[in-house]
Amino acid sequence: MKLLAKALGSTLMLAAACAACGAAATLALASNPLAAGNAAVGSCGVSSLNATRSVDNAGNVTQVSIPSVPSACAGATLSLTLVGSGGASLGAASAPVPAGGGTLTFSSFGATVPAASLLSYSFAVVGP
Amino acid sequence: MRKRRLALLLLAATLVAGLGAAYAASLTVASGHLWAGSQTLTKGTCTLQGTSSTTDTYVDEQNPTSSFGSTTTLSVGPKSNKRTWLLVRFDLSSCNIPATGGADSATLNLTITSAPGSSQTLEVSTIQSPWSGSTTWNTVPSTGSAFATFTTGTTSGVTKSVTVTADVDALIKSSTANYGWLISEPSSSSNVSTLFGSSENGTTGNEPQLVINYEK
Repeated sequence: MKLLAKALGSTLMLAAACAACGAAATLALASNPLAAGNAAVGSCGVSSLNATRSVDNAGNVTQVSIPSVPSACAGATLSLTLVGSGGASLGAASAPVPAGGGTLTFSSFGATVPAASLLSYSFAVVGP
Repeated sequence: MRKRRLALLLLAATLVAGLGAAYAASLTVASGHLWAGSQTLTKGTCTLQGTSSTTDTYVDEQNPTSSFGSTTTLSVGPKSNKRTWLLVRFDLSSCNIPATGGADSATLNLTITSAPGSSQTLEVSTIQSPWSGSTTWNTVPSTGSAFATFTTGTTSGVTKSVTVTADVDALIKSSTANYGWLISEPSSSSNVSTLFGSSENGTTGNEPQLVINYEK
């Protein structure tokens, strides 16, 4: 019985130690590919993206199109942010890149965006 | 002996669980794509006015084969069988806005050179087919439904403004998206007319004007 108690005690200590190792390993392993910028995190062939937008007669953005998204990005999520003065987000949208890539069109941004206030677009391609 | 085996089994299970957690975390990140970038927009203003950028005329129901592309005033009248409609469009090429750009706002300004005795409500429609200064009542181009109205008032020399942002935005992207605007009056009861200055008017400020605030 004493032996079993000792064994259980040792097991609990080891479990705690391994959990700590696991947490440390998670951080170390997860950050290495990003920090190194190695092949594990690729850009799927995107070097730049350019958007065009349409407006209604009141001058509010009704649609943003992003052409020439590489087919290698298929399945990744393309996120678009409409940026105004001081880097403020005026609206945002995201969608998966379809098979074959091509043009992604967004028509809802979570808010009404006056074209006159729109100063830049920010893009991000993440995953899959 | 049995107890020792149990203890060793527990140790082994704990180690495997710990390693498993670390391995799963590394898989999640290493399989993704990651790219971020931005595009900065440039803002500008372009004002179009005068014969070099403006085509305008009016058509007259009473004179269905006559053209008025070189007159100094443009008539809009509602009287049945005597209707007159104003047509105006602008060449945006001198603004040098690329097709990837767009209009933030666009305003059509028309100056009344001879106001009617009683205020009239005029309609603005987008012209959808080509026309020229030689266009007549019989060859008037097709239009969409009226998208704006404005009242003339009874005072001459007043400039009326119409917001045409969507049409100009479309024109920036394609020079054949539309062909300007037609001004008409839906009522057929009044025997009055409103005269606007044309691009040939000769008096500064009387010519049709298009002001575009754009991005590129």
